[in-house]
Amino acid sequence: MCPPEAAKSSACPPEVLAGIADLELVARIVVEGLVSGLHRSPFHGYSAEFSQYRHYRPGDDLKYVDWKLVARTDRVYTKQFRETTNMASAIVLDTSGSMDFPGAGFVTKFRYAVIAAAALAHLISGQGDAVGLLAGERFLSARAGRQHLRGLLAGLASLTAAGGWSAADSVRRASERLKRRGLLLVLSDFYDDEERTLVELRRAARMGHEVVLFQILSRDEIELPYRRDLEFADLESGRTLAINAGLARRQYTDAMAAFLERWHSRAGAEGFQYSLIVTDTPPERALRNFLLARKV
Amino acid sequence: MIWLNPLALFGLAAIAAPILIHILIQRRAERFPFPTLRFLQPTRLAAIRRHLLEDLPLLAIRIAIVAAAVAALAGPLLLIRARRQAWDRRFVRAIVSDTAAPRVTRVEQAPSLRQEAFAGATLADGIRRAVFWLDTAPPARREIVIASSFPIGSITNADVAAVPSDIGLRFERAGALPEKRTVAMGQVLTPGGAQRREVTLTGDQTSARDAAAGDLMPWPIDVVSAETDRPAIDAAIAAVLSQHVWAATPDRRARVVLVPSAAPVANDVAPIAQPWMADAVARIAREADLQAAAARISGGLADPRWAAAPWHPLAFAADGRPLAAAAGSAKGIVVASAAPASDLATPVLLRSIADALADVRSLQGAEVVPIADAVLQRWSRTAAPVTAPRIETIDQDDRRWLWLAVLCLLALESWVRRARSAEVSRERDREHARVA
Repeated sequence: MCPPEAAKSSACPPEVLAGIADLELVARIVVEGLVSGLHRSPFHGYSAEFSQYRHYRPGDDLKYVDWKLVARTDRVYTKQFRETTNMASAIVLDTSGSMDFPGAGFVTKFRYAVIAAAALAHLISGQGDAVGLLAGERFLSARAGRQHLRGLLAGLASLTAAGGWSAADSVRRASERLKRRGLLLVLSDFYDDEERTLVELRRAARMGHEVVLFQILSRDEIELPYRRDLEFADLESGRTLAINAGLARRQYTDAMAAFLERWHSRAGAEGFQYSLIVTDTPPERALRNFLLARKV
Repeated sequence: MIWLNPLALFGLAAIAAPILIHILIQRRAERFPFPTLRFLQPTRLAAIRRHLLEDLPLLAIRIAIVAAAVAALAGPLLLIRARRQAWDRRFVRAIVSDTAAPRVTRVEQAPSLRQEAFAGATLADGIRRAVFWLDTAPPARREIVIASSFPIGSITNADVAAVPSDIGLRFERAGALPEKRTVAMGQVLTPGGAQRREVTLTGDQTSARDAAAGDLMPWPIDVVSAETDRPAIDAAIAAVLSQHVWAATPDRRARVVLVPSAAPVANDVAPIAQPWMADAVARIAREADLQAAAARISGGLADPRWAAAPWHPLAFAADGRPLAAAAGSAKGIVVASAAPASDLATPVLLRSIADALADVRSLQGAEVVPIADAVLQRWSRTAAPVTAPRIETIDQDDRRWLWLAVLCLLALESWVRRARSAEVSRERDREHARVA
């Protein structure tokens, strides 16, 4: 489990979580740390049906206060809903070789993405919503229930990052498989063709899906903290480039910053929720930040 | 600077070895899997500079090690002033004396590195041996000290000129020559019989005195001729004796066969084996009077066997054929002659043979007149400073300093190499720590 100092800070370090083989346990740890302090469901379904009024209690969302009733009775009531149908969500996970970084011995982006996806699936499924998965060739349609969640987590645990991956194709496929308006969660480094990916994300949004982007990167690929002569080998294409990392750093970080800024601004412009997650951030903290951002 | 073993400098080609090693073991950039290369630009600044040679300081040290080792093997010798002065301060001295001179015990004027005495029958021979020995001596001033009473002829200008000019010559007169010396020269044959001759040298005057000898030396030549030629032969012998020829010892005999003659030429001829025979034949052949007399005779020995071994031509007739030829035998020299008995060539041939058979004592050793001091002074010279030492005689060089430099450079190379290795390790550790 998490070391005491990690427990105090209510965030388990990624390398500790990555060392736990049971993905369901990892998801539960993350979610337990995540939901403490959050008073309500972060995801809103579209099929909630009004059930009854009850007295307002501190902490209740003011959005559900029936102001007309307050005007008539001078008492504050909030509406309660009965969830008749669940929200459908699809997790799209990047399984390309570029996610297998920084490599053996360290928490890779892929492992981090798997943990994050598992936590999200656990969280969504815990609300009674349906969650599906599209990772490489593996597809699980969105369903609710504990049994389905276990299958999804087992599917996540069996994945490996290798070869190429098309974000555009995966987004298109996932958005088309969602039968009704739902939530599309994409976890990737988004090194793939930016324009095509954006086109498909835009299309998914037009279909009524809420699009959430998690751009997962490692600190080293953002800052390029190396100084020596290195022969960089592309994890997907195998292409190599021998340069002095120290001398190339400035230009690299500038280009990387521009890339990240481009994704951030485009996602904002398109109405996507965008989160940049660096793999040295505890998953709970990263997801908490994401969820808190959703409340704003 | 000179090199004692200059061929070793070809070893400088070994400098190519560290250069090749540096080229061949260039560190390849470490392969580093990375998510994408799209943000990495192979700019001119960042491109890995593939130097032809990496780590030039280390390469320079390694080249210096090889060069110093090769130079040490080549045996460098720095001709610095101190070394030249050290060479010039020491002497290598050869002391030459003849047997007539008293033993030389103290001749040096300066402490010598080496000294060697050469005593022999003649000073000229001693000087030649001394020069040869000095050529093998280590670099130093070289001189020959010649100790003798220096009778005239004991040393000539030619002997002095044969000594290299950088070798000093010093003449130490040892002992004095007698004012008068009488030498028994042997016997001479005269018509009146053998006479014992004595020669007396007094200053620059020489006198000879003949006295009847008790043990008479016989006429050393047998002449084989036709009976009709006997009178002419006897007359020829008488003519020779009238000129007082030197008598030979009884074991030195000659037989002259006039061809054609009644007697067979000789069946017992053989190649000349005795040294005195060879010496006598050579002296006969050098006799100018004989050659002149032979040239006046029209025909020589017709049979070609006289021109073949074991016969040696002594003189040639006008037709180019040998007039006389000599061979050896058990009893002495055999001479075949085509000269008529009555011709002048016959007594000239007999006189030449008689003189050649005699072993006349040289008066060289009996000389009582010394070489003038002025001449010795003129021949004297001091030993020259060492200018161009002979490489094979140099006993000390500077290679030890180069070997010391090699050791120091090896230590430096080892230190630099370890420093480089530690630096690379530290850098790698820093990056790994940063990644972790």
